Amino acid sequence: MSETYDFLFKFLVIGNAGTGKSCLLHQFIEKRFKEDSNHTIGVEFGSKIISVVNKFVKLQIWDTAGQERFRSVTRSYYRGAAGALLVYDITSRETYNALTNWLTDARMLASQNIVIILCGNKKDLDADREVTFLEASRFAQENELMFLETSALTGENVEEAFVQCARKILNKIESELDPERMGSGIQYGDAALRQLRSPRRAQAQSAQECGC
Amino acid sequence: MARIQQGNGLQSSESKSFKGTTESLAKHEDNSSDSDVNGIDNEVQTDKYGFIEGAQQYSSNSAEDIPPEILRQREAKWLDMLNNWDKWMAKKHKKMKVRCQKGIPPSLRGRAWLYLSGGKVKREQNPGKFQELDSQPGDPRWLDVIEKDLHRQFPFHEMFVARGGHGQQDLFRVLKAYTLHRPEEGYCQAQAPIAAVLLMHMPAEDAFWGLVQICEKYLPGYYSAGLEAIQLDGEIQFALLKRVSPVAHRHLKKHKIEPILYMTEWFMCAFSRTLPWASVLRVWDMFFCEGVKIIFRVGLVLLKCMLGTQEKLKAYQGLYESMELLRHIEPRYMHETFLVNEVVELPVSERDIEKEHLAQLRRWKETRGELHCKSPPRMHGARAIMTAEPPSRQDLRQNPTIIVESPVATATTTTTGNEGGRGSSAEDEKGKKSKRKKKTGKEEEREKEQEQKQAQAQTADAVPPPPAAEGPSPFPALAEPEDIPSVLGSLQSLSSVEHDTYL
Repeated sequence: MSETYDFLFKFLVIGNAGTGKSCLLHQFIEKRFKEDSNHTIGVEFGSKIISVVNKFVKLQIWDTAGQERFRSVTRSYYRGAAGALLVYDITSRETYNALTNWLTDARMLASQNIVIILCGNKKDLDADREVTFLEASRFAQENELMFLETSALTGENVEEAFVQCARKILNKIESELDPERMGSGIQYGDAALRQLRSPRRAQAQSAQECGC
Repeated sequence: MARIQQGNGLQSSESKSFKGTTESLAKHEDNSSDSDVNGIDNEVQTDKYGFIEGAQQYSSNSAEDIPPEILRQREAKWLDMLNNWDKWMAKKHKKMKVRCQKGIPPSLRGRAWLYLSGGKVKREQNPGKFQELDSQPGDPRWLDVIEKDLHRQFPFHEMFVARGGHGQQDLFRVLKAYTLHRPEEGYCQAQAPIAAVLLMHMPAEDAFWGLVQICEKYLPGYYSAGLEAIQLDGEIQFALLKRVSPVAHRHLKKHKIEPILYMTEWFMCAFSRTLPWASVLRVWDMFFCEGVKIIFRVGLVLLKCMLGTQEKLKAYQGLYESMELLRHIEPRYMHETFLVNEVVELPVSERDIEKEHLAQLRRWKETRGELHCKSPPRMHGARAIMTAEPPSRQDLRQNPTIIVESPVATATTTTTGNEGGRGSSAEDEKGKKSKRKKKTGKEEEREKEQEQKQAQAQTADAVPPPPAAEGPSPFPALAEPEDIPSVLGSLQSLSSVEHDTYL
């Protein structure tokens, strides 16, 4: 059974250990909270087709290990990512302080046009909050990131985070971003191919074949 | 306590049943009065490995059941080996290797692992070391990360299911002790599952030394900052794959699937998070004896099976698709009988690995410069470790950790039958479904052994009650030395009388 979608975006989920990256991914795909999960060693992944502004977009999401030590390994997943969720834990200032490092890695190693959304996760633990909404939102503004506070536990804003990020990439495609450029992290799906008439069709196909 | 110790008698199922029982007690303390040892059977259904049933991919119903009489015989053989460890290591290492390949009896697995790894020797040579580390506060930088991981190790194993329970506490102690033992190394998240598997089989101090040996002898550098050793082994495995399965090699190369994308978790966790549990244990049995070559071989077998034929690959063109394929390995390839067979037969030797190691190291230096992390040399298995650090006789002496006094033992003997220790329920299960599997060539020897044992086994109690360590307990093959020669016939010679008191 072949899936029909217009675009395929490669996404990353990055951030410190224990911020809830895998739980966000799980909540997004399975629509429920993963109660007892292993911590990620190496990489987890998942995919889901969502509908954004009349387009079907398949998200292929790579969820990475958070410990500093794994960074040399997880860096190899960055190549050609179109979007990223940069996750910190609102109850841990330490995870917030590490954001700059993650950001540098992402901008350097993924595609230049990578669209990043900052996610302050564990929104449900407001009583233990160490990072205010205002502070994080200022950080996001300064670094040209979108920003949401999320809860992988309740599901609040989880789907939105992925959808907003995908929407922004679609907008970029309509204005400046060329999906056929190497390393954009974007591929055309079958549906898009059918809609496109030649001569662009041939180009699109070749873009897909090069596997970028 | 006496009852728990009883339930964990020699015949049943290793130190983990002891731990499991106390853990469950701890867990139910808040909502029921404790001391209900049978509680675990009534309240939480676990499989014979302690995983809560239906909740864990690690459990495997297909796990092969070894007839009790064979198991008894194997236990006797292993007890003999443990009692004469230096002799066996020096003169009959090949036989020991074959026995590890057949699987170490569950009741002795923890102890055998500790002996094989040299952890036992390390422990004897550093008396009080663990206690000393254990009493120190530890570096808060590591403690924080360790604490976050405590509830994320085999959360569906009864030992680790309770937040702050004994299992998680021990895990904390072992991991913290390691960061104090090697402050320059600190804590790596992939050490946690390794320590957890060890803790399922041995007390915290032993698990600590087991962890030390794995991190320093078997897999040096795997958990160090930069993770260079694991990346290097990824390249080594990829190079070896070219010979083992050219089709798989070509596929991975074509789609630019770097080894670290698929082998990081496999190697760093020694497959403990990948394979069904029966296979994990069998792989670890061989790994402790033969070293990292087993890990390479398991990885190569899985790659060969999953990516080895063109037809299979047709539907999985692309990096993501291939990764998905490797994430969902078909159960038949992971079944312990199949897997162990393949691993034993795969012609990839220590020399092959060392040769490729040098080649890849050269390539690494050309492309990336010197390694940042200088790890000690890798030791290929139990014998290499023992040769490098020869133990004294004293170091190998058996020191029982728990001795049950005879009066206590006799007083509780009557209750042992339905005590419901996990170990004995596992035995029952074995008794119930003693269906015979089709024997492969490898199993023929066992078959023979079995036939010879049959007559004897019928007269003996198939599931003897757990013996008290030094009590008058009737563990036929072991507690009555004069039986041993007749039991084993000419198959095995037992060079000494068994005095086994380790629980």
